[in-house]
Amino acid sequence: MKLKLKTVFVLYFMVSLLGLVYALMQLGQRCDCSEHDLPKDRTISRLRGELHRLQEQMRKSDVTKQPQKQPAKPTIFVITPTYARLVQKAELTRLSQTFLHVPQLHWIVVEDSPHKTPLVTDLLVKSGLTYTHLHMPTAKDRKLQEGDPRDNQQGVIYFADDDNTYSLQIFEEMRSTQRVSVWPVGLVGGMKYERPVVEGGKVVRFHTGWRPSRPFPMDMAGFAVSLKLVLANPEACFDGEAPMGFLESSFLQGLVTMDELEPKADNCSKVLVWHTRTEKPKMKREEALQAQGLGSDRAVEV
Amino acid sequence: MPKRRDIVAIVLIVLPWTLLITVWHQSTITPLLATRKGKNIFAINIYHNDRRDGRSKSRNTFAFKESCSLQNRDIVEVVRTEYVYSRPPPWSDTLPTIHVVTPTYSRPVQKAELTRLANTLLHVPNLHWILVEDSQRRSTLVSRLLQETAVNYTHLNVETPRNYKVRGDTRDPRIPRGTIQRNLALRWLRESFRVNSSQPGIVYFADDDNTYSLELFEEMRSTKKVSVWPVAFVGGLRYESPKVNTLGKVYGWKTVFDPHRPFAIDMAGFAVNLRLILSKPQAYFKLRGVKGGYQESSLLKELVTLSDLEPKAANCTKVLVWHTRTEKPVLVNEGKKGFTDSNVEI
Repeated sequence: MKLKLKTVFVLYFMVSLLGLVYALMQLGQRCDCSEHDLPKDRTISRLRGELHRLQEQMRKSDVTKQPQKQPAKPTIFVITPTYARLVQKAELTRLSQTFLHVPQLHWIVVEDSPHKTPLVTDLLVKSGLTYTHLHMPTAKDRKLQEGDPRDNQQGVIYFADDDNTYSLQIFEEMRSTQRVSVWPVGLVGGMKYERPVVEGGKVVRFHTGWRPSRPFPMDMAGFAVSLKLVLANPEACFDGEAPMGFLESSFLQGLVTMDELEPKADNCSKVLVWHTRTEKPKMKREEALQAQGLGSDRAVEV
Repeated sequence: MPKRRDIVAIVLIVLPWTLLITVWHQSTITPLLATRKGKNIFAINIYHNDRRDGRSKSRNTFAFKESCSLQNRDIVEVVRTEYVYSRPPPWSDTLPTIHVVTPTYSRPVQKAELTRLANTLLHVPNLHWILVEDSQRRSTLVSRLLQETAVNYTHLNVETPRNYKVRGDTRDPRIPRGTIQRNLALRWLRESFRVNSSQPGIVYFADDDNTYSLELFEEMRSTKKVSVWPVAFVGGLRYESPKVNTLGKVYGWKTVFDPHRPFAIDMAGFAVNLRLILSKPQAYFKLRGVKGGYQESSLLKELVTLSDLEPKAANCTKVLVWHTRTEKPVLVNEGKKGFTDSNVEI
């Protein structure tokens, strides 16, 4: 009897061991179960799509039944100066692609040109954005112009150069601006980022590597002003003759003091906008061809 | 009754089974993979949400596990996120999927470039973004960026071996940048999709610093084999474009730089039908011995002939993509030790 039990145990142990080894071997292998799963997953994705469609329909019918008046979000007025150069269309294109994601945004494009160019006009029309198209040759003083802001309209003004990069979050951060709000800007001032230093919820100084003694040592892309404040100070404008780097200060000095600044982007600890610059495309061959009268077709807009 | 023998017997019985069960359990969560250079878990996130102004509450994720040891695979993980600022258009069952392959590498402007590229891609319906990092492992910066954006993506990585890397910052045209990454994406596509599957798709190689108009993606959606169009700011010209005759066929290339290349076109100037990629599993970008400007030809000549090319963008008369390049940011004020807090991600 004893022997039988022993062999049973030994057999059992061997079988389990073999089974374990087999399973361990299997784990390293790939299975091609992809064929089986794709139709299943496709069905699931199709059903999910239908579900969402039905949900959307329900929501629409609810809305028509009770038209709710939601408080309007403050409009963000984005002012972009632009000038004609090779990369202009590309820059404005990708800028418009970013802005399309932001609700309640009004794009004010100011061309540095004696008249409105068809390139920018067409681009704005096709963009699908709410916009105002202005133009003026480089003026000594840049005065602010909005497209008919009403007195009780809530709004925020932001100066956005056409070669910077903006994340979508920065627009939601600036929407709640009461006077002037600030945040870090990446890749500017010869550093990875420049930012206001926040202590106790207030801006105490600025972290910058270049001329920190300026009244407001920050980049144009690092602040936004509430519409109310600008309309209340009709004399505030950018001093085009200010020394380099003092442009922002020349504007903000008349509007706000440092402790009135509202820090955004998680107490100015996140970088949500980058001061990227686009290389000038190399045109040596183009210029050589043009000298021979064989330049590329001018009718093709680039 | 020898107690020790009983205990030994019980242990010998129970041990293999507990081992088996723990290993089995483990593998359902994180499957062990055969060690291969550069491949980890691939995740395809499919979003079926309508575009709504402002925020949305949830998003669903399907996680496909590419390698597994089990015959039964479950769809795992429904991830809910708090704040997504915008959504891609709802997935359509009729439009072909555009697989956009973007190689990327770490440098100061990387996050900015990927952010604005994502902002562009978010407008395109039925888009699948395949982002391939040139790194040893997937970086948190890119992983977080992809998770926060609502784009349908697959995140891969493979590191370019040091002897292939560009030395310093000088652009050595003999070492094509991003080649290994693009080849990995091609391999991933071939492993994920079957030739006779009915899912139509288009493959487009998009660098992270270029600018793409939305019209371009709609032009390439109708690609049957390989379609081509003009690209701005390449080859030292305002734009390079294929030459199209009155019959709508490509017969040459309007370039100054070596117009006698088999395919004198930039990476951003063509798109390939997925079925063609799958049916020619040997076609890859050539890595070694490729002259500057011949990289695209090294792939295309294995796929198609000149007469098969389909001209898009109004017979190649409109410019819908710009080969922009971003300046390297001047970081002089960082100094040797780094002036700014390195914990802040840029």
